[in-house]
Amino acid sequence: MIKLENINKTYFGAQPLHVLKGIDLHVEEGELVSIMGASGSGKSTLLNIIGILDNYDEGDYYLAGNLVKNLSENQAAEYRNKLIGFIFQSFNLIPFKTALENVALPLFYQGVNRKKRNTMAMEYLERFGLKDWADHYPNELSGGQKQRVSIARALVTSPKIILADEPTGALDSKTSAEVMQILREVNASGITMVIVTHERGIASLTRKIVHLKDGIIESIEENDPDKMDFTKEIK
Amino acid sequence: MFNRDFWSEIFMALRRNKLRTVLTGFAISWGIFMLIILLSAGNGLKNGVTSNFADRIQNTYRIWSSSTELPYKGHKANRFIMMSNKDIQLLESLYQVEEVSPILSQGGTLIFGEKSRMVEMEGVKPIYKNIEGIKILEGRFINENDLKNKAKVLVIDKNTNDELLRVTGETTMIGKTVFVNGLSFTVVGVGKGMMMFGERGQCFAPYSTLQAIYNVNEYYQITFTTKGLDTKEQNENFIKEVKLKLAALHEFSPEDRRGVWIDSQMVNSLETMRIFNTINIFIWVIGIAMLISGVVGVSNIMRITVKERTNEIGIRKALGAKPRSILLSIVMESLVITTIFGYIGLFLGMGVMEIVNMVMEAGGAGMSSETGMAVFINPTVDVRIVVLATLVLIISGVAAGFAPAWNSVKVKPIEAMNYR
Repeated sequence: MIKLENINKTYFGAQPLHVLKGIDLHVEEGELVSIMGASGSGKSTLLNIIGILDNYDEGDYYLAGNLVKNLSENQAAEYRNKLIGFIFQSFNLIPFKTALENVALPLFYQGVNRKKRNTMAMEYLERFGLKDWADHYPNELSGGQKQRVSIARALVTSPKIILADEPTGALDSKTSAEVMQILREVNASGITMVIVTHERGIASLTRKIVHLKDGIIESIEENDPDKMDFTKEIK
Repeated sequence: MFNRDFWSEIFMALRRNKLRTVLTGFAISWGIFMLIILLSAGNGLKNGVTSNFADRIQNTYRIWSSSTELPYKGHKANRFIMMSNKDIQLLESLYQVEEVSPILSQGGTLIFGEKSRMVEMEGVKPIYKNIEGIKILEGRFINENDLKNKAKVLVIDKNTNDELLRVTGETTMIGKTVFVNGLSFTVVGVGKGMMMFGERGQCFAPYSTLQAIYNVNEYYQITFTTKGLDTKEQNENFIKEVKLKLAALHEFSPEDRRGVWIDSQMVNSLETMRIFNTINIFIWVIGIAMLISGVVGVSNIMRITVKERTNEIGIRKALGAKPRSILLSIVMESLVITTIFGYIGLFLGMGVMEIVNMVMEAGGAGMSSETGMAVFINPTVDVRIVVLATLVLIISGVAAGFAPAWNSVKVKPIEAMNYR
């Protein structure tokens, strides 16, 4: 599903910063992978490249068999819209839109009509127990609710991949456990998932843990999350 | 693309920033408002001045006698050239000339009952009514029969008429007998729109009558109408041709700047039009400059808006918004501000000028009190200006929104999302 070959990325600022130094990574369809590393290790940059939110300088990136390189903004938008669902640490909900409108937005960009859009968005909100919160604005929701809205928004287009950047970073441990449970269930339904985190507890809930250090993959650890006891605190 | 959702997004953005929207819009409204006021005022001035010769046949000519400046063929300088029937025959022989009317001028005193008034009496042909654009308010002008019969009939001006009626208490002057320099004339008409001589009245008699009475065959002034002279160049060439012919007839130097003065109504009015066109261009330049400051304001505000919305735009991009949809939504937002507020300014401006127009018409303002000539009439703009203003607004709206929109399209989604 995701195939990265020798990906290099340098930020050209006042001081050029070589953040990714030849990343090779394969993620198969349906896998649940986490990328771990200290801050500055390049894990977010890597996720952004996978999500076509950022470009890379060298190497090749194949997404669902398509080479993602020098795409036009239109093509990139198309891929993001159809193939990828994003979940962010800070939720990135649009503040002046209701939960329902936020979830329906990706469908708007697919040209789905208003009625169908709202029906579908409502289905996903219902699935995450947010039916009664549909008409609320993000600032009226708790952190966990916001993250569930953004998960609903990521899923509403039935993407092939979910990319989550520190999805529990802004949540308390109890809510984190709930969110992770949801993400695991989503993955179980067959959607490939890549989670960036710096928390061991979160990473240990995934089947494959990619350790990133100073822009290089240090090791890839196979993991069996079923050994974990979910009732325990994960932090 | 331009469906209900698209528009509701735009109007939502405008509503979220009410103060900003209104302040920005005000600059545009003000610009268009002032442009309309200025254009209307310019139009009013133009309408006023041109209305003074609107009733004249466009292409009329007037030749004045004058003294020469140069010695020529044994004649000394400063010789006064008087025109005669020979000049009339010469003019009538030219194919461009339609009808010729000499003017016999005779100053004098008009007496009616107890009342006397200084007048300028002019002997003319019937065609003079058209040449001078005289409006007949009552009765009739001189006709061919008067001319043939050398009838002692008189057309008096409105001021004289009003004055005589006021003093004598009569209801009409038509058919009354008046005396000019001791000779009796029957009043046949009252006219308006003649050349004014300050406090003096003006009246017209058949030129044949005055010729017989005063036994004059020389004229200070000859007027005539022409045909087929449509451009300034044709008129100027015609003036040169007439001048040469008259120079030969009266034996003055063709180089002489004086001798006779030839004045073309058309060249004059073209000249006047040129002045008004210049004023018009000036107004547009000022108006457009004002609009530009409005547009710069909108553009600035749009830039700030886009900056504020950078995060949102980043999120939209991550969710699959295409550049075109973002570009369009920002440009359309700017366009909506400029057109809505532009039209507010436009209609306010037109409304104000309509009211000014109504007040002026009701109060009879806009006329010069001394000469009775109009200087300011119907200060409004026509539909073409409205269409043009719309075009200007649309272009400026797009221009104002485009640069900020383009910037937001270019920025990478992740940079936009992380922007603080």
